[in-house]
Amino acid sequence: MKSRPSAHRSRSSKSAASDGSASKFAITDWENDDWSANIDEEEPDSRRIRSIENIPQPAALSRVHSSTSSIAPSKSPHSRDCSVDSRAQNDAQLNAEIEEINARLARITKFKSILRQPVIDLAALRKLAWAGIPDELRPQAWKLLLGYLPKNSNRREETLRRKRQDYLDGLETVFSRPLDQVMWHQISIDVPRTNPHIPLYTHHTTQKALERILYLWAVRHPASGYVQGINDLVTPFFQVFLSEYIDADDITDYDPKSLAKNDLNAIEADCYWCLTKLLDGIQDNYIQAQPGIQRQVAELRDLTKRIDSTLAAHLEHENVEFIQFSFRWMNCLLMRELSIDNIIRMWDTYMAEEPLGFSRFHVFVCAALLVKFSSELQQMDFQDIMIFLQSIPTGDWDEKNVELLLSEAYMWQTLFKDSSAHLKDNE
Amino acid sequence: MAQDEYDILFKVVLIGDSGVGKSNLLTRFTRNEFNLESQSTIGVEFATRTIQVEGKTVKAQIWDTAGQERYRAITAAYYRGAAGAMLVYDIASQSSYEHVSRWLKELRDHADANIAVMLVGNKSDLKHLREVPTEQARSFAAEHNLSFIETSALDASNVDQAFITVLNELYEIYKVKQLEQGDSAGPRPGDGTTISFTPTAGDDKKKSSNCC
Repeated sequence: MKSRPSAHRSRSSKSAASDGSASKFAITDWENDDWSANIDEEEPDSRRIRSIENIPQPAALSRVHSSTSSIAPSKSPHSRDCSVDSRAQNDAQLNAEIEEINARLARITKFKSILRQPVIDLAALRKLAWAGIPDELRPQAWKLLLGYLPKNSNRREETLRRKRQDYLDGLETVFSRPLDQVMWHQISIDVPRTNPHIPLYTHHTTQKALERILYLWAVRHPASGYVQGINDLVTPFFQVFLSEYIDADDITDYDPKSLAKNDLNAIEADCYWCLTKLLDGIQDNYIQAQPGIQRQVAELRDLTKRIDSTLAAHLEHENVEFIQFSFRWMNCLLMRELSIDNIIRMWDTYMAEEPLGFSRFHVFVCAALLVKFSSELQQMDFQDIMIFLQSIPTGDWDEKNVELLLSEAYMWQTLFKDSSAHLKDNE
Repeated sequence: MAQDEYDILFKVVLIGDSGVGKSNLLTRFTRNEFNLESQSTIGVEFATRTIQVEGKTVKAQIWDTAGQERYRAITAAYYRGAAGAMLVYDIASQSSYEHVSRWLKELRDHADANIAVMLVGNKSDLKHLREVPTEQARSFAAEHNLSFIETSALDASNVDQAFITVLNELYEIYKVKQLEQGDSAGPRPGDGTTISFTPTAGDDKKKSSNCC
């Protein structure tokens, strides 16, 4: 039996663990266990396997695995008497997988050619990022897209140094003063309740880091202060920026206590500044009376009327108010509705849609999500609708589902951009 | 899951400071579950449970709200139509108890005037950390005409009893109301708007879309 190439192994387990599905990509599985003999007999298949293995950039390839959407390995090889049909099927599947890998490698190359420029073409980066950023390039791409890293490469190092120092100085200042007890209390009870189902967030080091980031942000933004839900918004940054420093099989299982202090400081500072950039664009959501959210909820209601009047009428008939279910969608940017991996992919597109990705485009995404379940919802009464919408069945969603949602949202945005004003006039 | 048939539907809201255990009271009562590290509630979460009272099927529609101050403007909207409220504090947190009067004012400002309120001291399992003496809370409750109970969502003590007491109380009020309404000869003046009960009572058990 062939040994597993370690580079291939490193990330494929991540996606499997993160969404609970079977391993995302089949290469390692092809070589796995009892049915590998069948594959070895298949000359064309094994040749292809070797040809995949020979692709340079094994590191890149391993990352590709992690973001390759669920092309589950065929179940049939588990049976010894593999039929001709299933062999042909496997053959076709493998071809598809190879094509997908090649397409992704080509995308990585495109990203790298943009990111290598002395002055980054942000428009080009946005265009490419809309369809998803490869895992290994995401930390840098996000920092650029959010305007944290300067697009001019010779200013980057100095900016990072300065920003990271400013974060440390800020911490020193706010923690040398008496704490704002109300704010600190809220943060300290919310941090242990942040993604409690993901081991990474149960570790002491992670929780302390989140506390510092959130408290500094809150003290520096007194108009809103800390509002529940902002704790959720740090986590995609934390995971993505942590991935720059570690090579763990599964980042969601990682305990950052073994990180070097300098690295942890850098991760925290980057999270802090990127969270600040993100929240700068949606501050209305968190100030008194939360007018940003109220407006978005109203926009979602208007949009639903346009897109799916039958569903809108049904919701109205059942006395379901949009604020009842979509407040959280806006307040936490759907982070309670989708897995964190899905959210990370979604944020690639939101950042590419800047400056309004996290506000206006988000409403279109919410509308696309709601109407996706239109036929089910139309069969339900008030109570069932509420229960359904507070735990939308997206547990098995992978990247493909998210991408479909995003393209539907894009379509609605193209059709109805700036039209909500007209809609109100017509009412 | 949701039962389709019931005689009477009561909407009950859970309010109180962040972190006092409102969501766990709800899941303990509706699903017999407790989760030490559940995510904070944002906006409102909703669950139901049906119980029998004097041979009638009574459905409780319980709305769990977010506790943070910033959400008050939004959560007030959820009080509408609530027949009952459970105002929860943490017996191990003096400040959560001190905020009870603020929450009562919220109810006075935004809920129906006749809403039945129960004061609930949760986390009674934390005996060694108690900051709020039972008697103090009990006399506060009596003074303000609230019912009172201490519960532990963690060890489940008194949780069912708390909800069932509220529902029984609501049922008693409902019966009185029915009698008054049935007595067409003499509706009492000045007794116009009362507790918002769902109008689904009757001989035919039927599915109702919403409470009032």
